Amino acid sequence: MNIDRLIKKAEELAGRYGVTYYEVRVVKISVAHLEMQNSHLEEISSNMEIGIGVRAFQGAWGFSSANDIGRAEKAIETAMKIAKLMKGSSKVYLNDPIKDRAEIKAKKPFINVDLDEKLELVKTVDKFLEDNDIVNRKVSYGDGLKWQFYFNSLGSEIETIIPRIRLSFSATAKKGNEMQSYWKIFGGTGGWEIVEDVDLEYWTAFVKEKSKSLLNAQLPPSGEFDVIMDPELAGVFIHEALGHASEGDAIKNGESILEGKLGEKIAVEELTVVDDPTLEGKFGSYIYDDEGVKARRVEIIKDGVLNEYLLDRETAAYFDMEPNGHGRAQSYNYQPLVRMSNTYIEPRDWSFEEMLSEVKRGLYLIGDKGGEVDIANGTFMFGAKEGYLIENGEIKAHIRDVALSGKILDVLKNIRAIGKDLKVEFPGYCGKGQWVPVDDGGPHVLTRALVGGLL
Amino acid sequence: MIDELIKILNHKDIEWEIYWEIGRGSSFKIERCELVRAQRKYHSGIGLRVGYKGKVGFSYITGINHDKTSLERFVNRTIKLAKVSEVPFYGFSTNNKNRKVKSLYDRKIEEMSFDDAYSIALLLTEKERELKERLGVEYAFSGGIAFGMSTDGIANSNGIEKIEKTTGMSVNIHIVKRAEKSGSGSYYRGFRLMPDFGKEFSVGLERALEEVELSYSAKKINGYHGEIILEPHAVASLVSILMSNLYGDNVYHKRSRFSKIGDSIASESFTLIDDATLEGKLGSYSFDGEGNPSQRTVLIEDGILKGFLFDEAYAKLMNAKSTGNAVRDFRTVPHIGNSNVIIDGKRENLEDLEKAVVVKRVFGEHTANPLSGDFSLTIELGYLIENGEVKPFKDNMFAGNIFELINLIINVGKEKEEVGSFLSPRVLILGKII
Repeated sequence: MNIDRLIKKAEELAGRYGVTYYEVRVVKISVAHLEMQNSHLEEISSNMEIGIGVRAFQGAWGFSSANDIGRAEKAIETAMKIAKLMKGSSKVYLNDPIKDRAEIKAKKPFINVDLDEKLELVKTVDKFLEDNDIVNRKVSYGDGLKWQFYFNSLGSEIETIIPRIRLSFSATAKKGNEMQSYWKIFGGTGGWEIVEDVDLEYWTAFVKEKSKSLLNAQLPPSGEFDVIMDPELAGVFIHEALGHASEGDAIKNGESILEGKLGEKIAVEELTVVDDPTLEGKFGSYIYDDEGVKARRVEIIKDGVLNEYLLDRETAAYFDMEPNGHGRAQSYNYQPLVRMSNTYIEPRDWSFEEMLSEVKRGLYLIGDKGGEVDIANGTFMFGAKEGYLIENGEIKAHIRDVALSGKILDVLKNIRAIGKDLKVEFPGYCGKGQWVPVDDGGPHVLTRALVGGLL
Repeated sequence: MIDELIKILNHKDIEWEIYWEIGRGSSFKIERCELVRAQRKYHSGIGLRVGYKGKVGFSYITGINHDKTSLERFVNRTIKLAKVSEVPFYGFSTNNKNRKVKSLYDRKIEEMSFDDAYSIALLLTEKERELKERLGVEYAFSGGIAFGMSTDGIANSNGIEKIEKTTGMSVNIHIVKRAEKSGSGSYYRGFRLMPDFGKEFSVGLERALEEVELSYSAKKINGYHGEIILEPHAVASLVSILMSNLYGDNVYHKRSRFSKIGDSIASESFTLIDDATLEGKLGSYSFDGEGNPSQRTVLIEDGILKGFLFDEAYAKLMNAKSTGNAVRDFRTVPHIGNSNVIIDGKRENLEDLEKAVVVKRVFGEHTANPLSGDFSLTIELGYLIENGEVKPFKDNMFAGNIFELINLIINVGKEKEEVGSFLSPRVLILGKII
């Protein structure tokens, strides 16, 4: 495909349809995926795909996409026709043109690693997971190299290359009618070195041990409790409890409970929450967002005060602010939405032991099982993979997985201690009608929440 | 071009299967009573599986306008993958039976112009604006409509050749009320055939408004243990936790609680059916991703485990027959999945009650543990009925174990409601609210 020709064609069509702003993303993505269950290889695939996504703006957005590159010009024209038809009155932030070529470098590009070697990795993990008490072993490997050429009517031309890799595995243990599983996910932006650096022997043994020990774990209690969250759980907690409600589109549409609260103290003074797409090697990292805006670190809450929303071009214009590089699309065939990247709680000075001694009767909860938020009601929930009872500052019985729930505006003020041991290494995907890769984390955090246990 | 591809494949000494799609989808989105974005997207592509010496290889290409050379390259690449693949090959479908599920396609949707669709979206925008003017600044309205069509085809070296054209359309409405407190209400409905929009928007707005008022005045209640009525939306969330236990691949790989057909696993008042043959329903299709005809599969009948869902591979592995539950698109290999899920059982009147605890919506079911069955979900909205008076509640949790819960079903209501591809009545259970 000839990019220069597309750029010219877009300009010509914009003139014809009287479109004030447009942007085009041409994407080429190479993806490998392998999946194995109980030594049974279920998928090994390696594919390449090219597509185009076009947005045109004339007071409202028109969007079109195609994966048949013969339809590229048609997609441009369709998006512009739609924008013109819509006769909207919204605004969009326009900046100076950027010409750049940016790449997240891999030490050892996975594109140069044979499928055989990737299969070998999957088999090794499967083998390590073998155990008499483990009835199911599941291993999944995926990598994707995304080349994107972005251009817009302002004259921006940005070429980016982002490699992303992920390895996950789980073990399921069974005793009588009881079944429990545990899993671990590794990943980031970079190359094969990310999976090479994983101590597979250690982590497979860890996952096996956890799934087996959960068979003997107690049922979690229910009710309001003091809860210490480990860094992984603190990550999903802040993603659900604050991240989504601070997304500019939710605020603009009058859906978020944080509307009109910028500059207000909404949390304890010790709390600072950051969303940073520029962190090196993290799963949610990128250099430019899908609107050609440079990615930037955002302090959503600074010292307890709601400091900044996550913004794209449209929400920035609405609030008369500058976008901060959080317009992300799942792929070329989706319109960018305001999204998180790597979200975390800044560390403070509590040690885990000090935190523990604060708790008379509570729970130490560990690991991320996902979560969900109702931003309009300001209620969120999130799941922990396992936990322990705490009695008089001491860790007691092991408990099974459980979900917690809280009100955004209460729970951020209920945080009593923030640890010093920051970890942001919990890759995952965040869904909002589209899936994008994200990471999150934090240090250990002590707060109070409603625990949905069975006892 | 498909014929060209088949010709190339027939000249090779392999077993093959192609799955292709051509489609388009359009949508309009309303935010704060303004029509702010619209899209029209096109997609097409072909997925090819090649069976060679007991192994299978897969790859896909996007687009359906390729010359002979690139088709040759595509075929050779997939054969090469099959040669190095270690994925066992269990054969492609041989079931030539043609089933035609009715009312999955409406020419009116396929031929609807973008301008006509725009007028329909404007109609919803105007209705929302009228309501906003009447109700005041405390309310924020959003929503949208979406519609699309797709042609899916399958062919394989066993002589299977099937093709189906389907359409779909959906309406969604979301209302937020914010003053000293907050509340929200929503409505979603999908269709295969063009609905009467005027009527649909009125019903949707009325239902979402009812919900927003309930939600606005809802408060957390004290814990409760006893009889609870689950509305269809909440039933769908809970049954979704159970479903993966009924997929053949999970049973085979021991990631399911269930193993033996005939076991008593639930209350006698509970029946669960997967049915892809229902006329005009969202989860219906004439053939699945491997070309097997769709069917109705009873999974649980009066509490007894009756069947599992299968694709071709796991049916062969477990000495069973495919139930036509291979779900896929051209980019993916087939995986077992459900179609329409019908919840049924011993029917009683669960409407018009004087006294009840009702859970309308829950969220967070993806955090539940489908293996142990444990779940703790947040109650988005529920209400108590006392002496015929409705008192809403929210922010409590609904916790339990799905394998126990299906044993605690007392009876189910008489009228079913569609929630996506779930068809469920109200269900009366014994449960716990925290």
